[in-house]
Order: sequence, then C-alpha cells, then structure tokens
Amino acid sequence: MTELAQHTTDYEIVEGEAPEVLARNLSAASQLLASATAFFFVAFLFAYFYLRSLDNAGLWKPKHVDASVTWGTIVTFLFVASAILVRFGAVDQKADRRPAWRLKGVIALACGLVALVLQCVAWTQQSFGPADGGYASVFFGWTAFLFLFVLGTMLWLEMTLATSFRYGKQPMGEAAVAPGHASGDPGRMGHDIRNPVALNTAELLALSFYWTFLAGIAVVSWIILYLV
Amino acid sequence: MTVARRLVGFNLLTACVLGVGGWYAGWYGAHAVVGPSLDYFGDIDFNELSLVLAYLGGVLGFLIGLGFLNYPISRMRGYPPSLREKETGGVGRYFGLCTDHKVVGIQYLIGIGFFFFIGGLNAMLIRTELLRPDHQVWPAGTYLTLVGLHGTMMMGMFTSGILGPFGNYLIPILIGARRMAFPRIEALTFWLLMAGGVILETTVFFGGFPTGWTGYQPLGTQANPGMDCYYLFFALVGISMTLLGINMIATIVTMRAPGLTWSRLPIFVWGVLSTSALMVLAAPVLIATLLMALLDRTAQTNFFIPSQGGSPYLYENLFWFFGHPEVYVLALPGFAIVLEILPVFARKPLWGYRLAVAGLLGVSLLSFFVWQHHLFVSGINADLRPFYMFSTELISIPTGFTFICGMMTLWRGRIRYSVPMLFCLSWFFNFLIGGLTGVFLSDTPSDTTTHGSFFTMAHFHYTIMGGLVFAFFAGIYYWVPKMTGFQLNERLGKIHFWTMFILFNSTFFPLFIAGFLGQPRRVVTYAHNLQFINDWVSVSAFLLGGSMLVFLYNFVKSLVFDRVPAPADPWGSKSIEWQLPSPVPVHNFDRIPVFSGDPYGYGEGTGPFPIPAGAPAGMN
Repeated sequence: MTELAQHTTDYEIVEGEAPEVLARNLSAASQLLASATAFFFVAFLFAYFYLRSLDNAGLWKPKHVDASVTWGTIVTFLFVASAILVRFGAVDQKADRRPAWRLKGVIALACGLVALVLQCVAWTQQSFGPADGGYASVFFGWTAFLFLFVLGTMLWLEMTLATSFRYGKQPMGEAAVAPGHASGDPGRMGHDIRNPVALNTAELLALSFYWTFLAGIAVVSWIILYLV
Repeated sequence: MTVARRLVGFNLLTACVLGVGGWYAGWYGAHAVVGPSLDYFGDIDFNELSLVLAYLGGVLGFLIGLGFLNYPISRMRGYPPSLREKETGGVGRYFGLCTDHKVVGIQYLIGIGFFFFIGGLNAMLIRTELLRPDHQVWPAGTYLTLVGLHGTMMMGMFTSGILGPFGNYLIPILIGARRMAFPRIEALTFWLLMAGGVILETTVFFGGFPTGWTGYQPLGTQANPGMDCYYLFFALVGISMTLLGINMIATIVTMRAPGLTWSRLPIFVWGVLSTSALMVLAAPVLIATLLMALLDRTAQTNFFIPSQGGSPYLYENLFWFFGHPEVYVLALPGFAIVLEILPVFARKPLWGYRLAVAGLLGVSLLSFFVWQHHLFVSGINADLRPFYMFSTELISIPTGFTFICGMMTLWRGRIRYSVPMLFCLSWFFNFLIGGLTGVFLSDTPSDTTTHGSFFTMAHFHYTIMGGLVFAFFAGIYYWVPKMTGFQLNERLGKIHFWTMFILFNSTFFPLFIAGFLGQPRRVVTYAHNLQFINDWVSVSAFLLGGSMLVFLYNFVKSLVFDRVPAPADPWGSKSIEWQLPSPVPVHNFDRIPVFSGDPYGYGEGTGPFPIPAGAPAGMN
C-alpha cells in the first residue's frame, strides 16, 4: 500500500469527531483571545498615562485638541448595544429559539457596522489630526485598532449568522450537510466533525463572550479618551 | 496535466506569484492615494506608507495563494465549521497549507533551520569585520544592518524555535489527541513566520536598519525605509506567537486524553504551556508597540517623538515589557526539553516533578516584573532600581528549581552518553555561565559598567545559544528518528556536539573579557589592544559555523542518502510518542488512548502508558 493510500485509509477511519471537542476548543480560545486583546490595549493605556504624565514640550494635549464626546458616545453605545444583543441572541440559540436569535443577530451586526461607519466619520470631524501631540497620537492609534478588532468580530458574527440562516430549518442535531463543504474537499467521504451545524451554539457562546469583552474595552476607551 | 493542475492550485508557487503581485498592488495603490510619483526608489524617503502597504499587500497575496482565505469565505457563505483542509500524501504537502500537525512541525523545523542558517551567515560577516580594529570590510551602516539582521532573525525566528517544530509535532501526541485545537491557525502561524523572514531580509534593498534587534527610538523613527521591514517582521512574528500560544494552550487545556491529569502531564508539555502563556500575554504588547512605531513613520503620529509630545522611553518600556518575557519564551522550552530527555538517558524518574513545574510557572510569572532592569542606565527613576534589581535576582530561584531537578535526576543515574544526552549535559554548563553572569547585569552597580558592552552580548549568547540552541539540537537528535523514521548518524552527531561545544565556549567566553575591557556592542571599530581577543573569537566563530556544517552534512546524509530505519524506541523511552510507529500516521491514534501512569517511571515496571482503551494507529 502506498503512503498516500495508507494515510487516506487512516483518515477515513477517524471521521466524525464529537462536536463537543471543538466546542471546548472555541470556549477556551475565546477567553485566551480576550486576554491577548486586553494586553494589546494595555500598551495604549500605558502610552496614554505615560505621555500624559511626561507632557513633553507641553504637547500632550494642546488647547485645540478636544475629542468630540458626542461622536464617541454614539459609537460606544452602538458597540455595547450590539454586544448585548449577541448575548441575548446566544440565550435564544441555547433555548432553540433560533428565529429570535437570528433577528437579534442581524440587528447586532447592523449596529456594529453602523458604529464602524460612524467611527470613520468621527475621525474626519475631529478638530485635530494624528500629528497634534501625544494625546492625538494615542487617540487615533487606539480608536484605529479598536476599529480593526471590532471589524474582525463583525466578520465572525456574520459567519455565525450565515450558518444559522443556511441551516435554519433543520432541527438542531440532525443537520444534513454535505461532507467537505467547508473544507474545500468536495470528495470527502464524511464530516471531520460529526454534525457540524450543532456547533453553532458553541460558536455563538464563544463569540458572545469575546464581543462582550471587546465592548468592555470600548467602554474603557470611551472613559479614558473622551471623559478623563 | 496533473502537474499543471498542481502548479495552478493553492500552493507555494501560487503564493509567491500572488505575494509579488500583492506587493506591487500595495505599492501602486499607496502612490495613487498619497502621491503621483511612481518612481521606484526615488521617493521612498518621503513615502513610507507605500512601502508598508506594499508589504501588507504582499503578505495578503501570499496567504491567498496558499489558500488561507478559502475557509473564511466559505464560512461567510454559511457553510459549517470543519477541522481540516483536503489532505494528501507526498512531498507536496510540505509546500502549502497543511492541517496535519506533524507536517506543520516538520515545516517549522526546515523553515526555521533555513533562517537560522542565514542568521548564522550574518554572524560570520560580523566577525569578518571585527578581525581588524578599524573597519575595512563593510561600511559602518552595513555593519549595523548585519548586526541587526543577525539579532532580529535569531530572536524573532527562535521565539518558535522549539514550540514550532517540537511543540506542534509532539503536543497532540503527548496528550493523546489527534490534532491541535485549530489546525488552520497552526498552519497560519508557520506561514506568517516565513513571510516575515523574507520581509526582514529585503531590508537590504531599502537601506537596512541601524537599531539592532531592539528597534530603539528615536533611531527607529529617523532610520531608512529598511526600518519598516524590521517593524513588519517583528509584528508578524508577534501575531504568529500570539496565535501559536492560544492554539497550544487551548489544545493542552481542552484535549487531554482520559487519565492524563495535570500531575501526569509530561514536563515538556508543562514547558510549552508556560511558554505559551508568556506568548499570549507578552506578544500583543510587542505588536501594539511596533504598530505605534509604524504609525509614527507613516501616519504622522508622535508616540515616540519627544519634541511633539511623545517619548522614546515609551518605546523602551513597552518593548522590554515584551522583551524580557521573550527571553524566557526562548529559554523555557529549552529547560523543558532537557528535563524531558534527562530521565530517559539517566534511567531514573524525573526528580522533583512538582518542583520542576513550579519552577517553570514561577519563571513565567516573574518574567513580567523585571523588564526595567534593561533601563537601569537609560534614565530610569533611581527609586525604582532596587525593586527591579530584587525582582530580577528573585527569578534565579525558580530557575534554580529546574536546575536542581535536572541535577538530581542525574544523581546516581545509569547515564548513557548518547548525542541527545551530551547536548543536555552541556546545557547545564552553558546555562550556568549564562545565569551567573546574568546576576552582574541584574545588579545595578555592576550593570552600570557592563551594560551595552560585549559582556552583555556574551551573557545572552550563553543563555540563548547555550540554553536554547543546545537544547534544540538535543531535541533534533532525540526526536528526528520519530519524525522521519530514520536514525541520524551517531558518530557524526558526536563530532558535531564536541566541535560545537568547544567552539561555542571558545567563541563567547573571551567576549566577557572584551566586555570588561570596555569593548562596546554595535560599534564597528574597537581599541587596538583588543585585536587578539577579537581575532581569536572570529576564528572560533568561523569554526563554530563549520561545526554546523557537520550537522547539516549528517542531517542530509542520514535522511536522504543512508536512510537507516530507526528502531521503534531507539532510546528506551517510556513516553507515549515512542509507542507509535515512526513516522506517526496521519491521525495518530485509531482510538483515543487512556493514560494510567506517569511518564517517567524508569525502573518501576515495563511502561507508564498502558493503553487499555485505545491503541496507536497501525498497532492494532
């Protein structure tokens, strides 16, 4: 038997991993990702207080530098609203009220995307630019990377929603999905995860945890950058 | 037809083509946004953005070519999760996106080995320059770029030097799993690292960079566009480290087989776990710091420009908040490999298992509280010095735990001096010197005179090369028979070891003296009275490079030409990986094993891992 054939045989033997394994992976990974995200923004938090305390050349925050609280509040409010909706949506999904989750999910996605668009508008409406001292640097850096993190989270939300819509009419636990659809391997004989659609709940719970955490960081950003 | 279809699929060739295309798309796209000029080199001095976007476009194209976007796109279309890409056999799987953790481990071994070789060549060029006290071979700027390339390549690539090859290959097997938690992310970490390595080397086309591996400000803000390559390289390394760490921890925490309790976990797995924790928490700070530096260079922010409200010390603090844990990211897996291998060749259980675990975790924790000792002579508030001096010296206690556990494991053991064991034993000698000289650098008064000198350079080469690279080679000689199914030549291995050990010490020990006599790092000239020491070191370094060629010869000869099949368990180990066929089948186990003993029960029965509820693939 050739090496390839032997591997292929071995491969087929182990098809059908229990979805609970990946569910545990996702849960752990969402918490680890939150930790990594926290430390990423800790660097900006440190920069904020470090540069503020030094106030080099008196250019920490020149007089004309004043971030618009209105814009910041609207954007942060939409982030938080989106995260809360996803959290309630996860509760609906666990209770098998999937239409209710999908409705909340769509609204949450819309909130998140609108917030990102408004963040772009907000940058153009500020009275200062990134070159206007220490605060301006921290402000634009922090909000820009928060923007990217939220964008990534919205992509994750869209994926979860899209799976839910595509297989929405099938009872949970009995999804009839063609093997290999998501793997780029149409010839695959079986799923590498048994009943992969059942993972929708686990994925949503992991997403909900991470998005809530990120929204928490957005609230901290709002307090530090706009209120303090 | 088959060959043609393979060539146009998602593979390394396509990735390179799209990578180059993406580079130019980014380059021209940025020019379209920020300026009308398309002059290739003429305007890069005032248009950093074009270079950064060019590289980002290149990385994106590279990843598209490898097929990394296929899965996210199918998920966005609503298809459910899956674990693996289509898997094929043959050599081709090593040149593309492969979700078999063993293939990724071997990809890491070869890929990192390649860049290690380049980094070593840079070291030879540095030592060539230092043969004479007045610079003659390279201009000063080129010399600084060589120093930077050598340090950055080694420090960046070797963050994954053990977790990449051995972690990816062995962790699922050692915990009785069939896969890593996220196989696609596992593959992504490797290819990001390779893309980063290429980006760093291309710095020579853009003027190089003068900062060494630390990228200090304000030099970093003022440097050539080649500096952007440094920032992008290290940012990619940081992303790769973070993802690798998350993947490792998720795998170890959630996928251990039944019966594999925390107290039965092999010590190597503990080492990987503690290193991964450092990666997940420290690397994001590095990424953020480098992105700030890139924003300063491209978007006119002023994080590190003091005249505009920023501060270069901000960079120094943030960098070392990552940088010191980074040292332990490099060293801890070395500890773990040594502690894993020693019991096999001493034929004794690992002494003080819990103490060794405490040592590994203690080092991880304390490494976050010592970073300011790098700034003792850089304007740090004098009142802070005692705290950081104390915390730095405190870290020698958990380090000592692992040292004691290793020594006591040797005590009254029936030691076999096979090649992996020789490398492990040399680790004790090298790391002891590295550790003792580290005390001089953690102590504020002595650091004041030794900081920035060749003494510091000799110290960290003893800890990193003596601690990590020797352990890395121990791992290679020990596990390559498992990974490939073929034995490395023992005699050539011993020649490699003895030449490397002697020449390593001959190269780096005299540099302590050069440092005490006042030779500064990163300076192309030195005092004439130091020429003899430098010539000695240079010649030793060239010969040390030659000892690496012995290894390379052995590696190619044994694995490509001789191909002597390795015995099922060539070292008499009781660890689970040696109960599997070599090389290990694609899915490791037909059924998940159940663990019922500890992995170091030498002299306590026939085997610690009876597997009543499952058997390795191919064994039943």
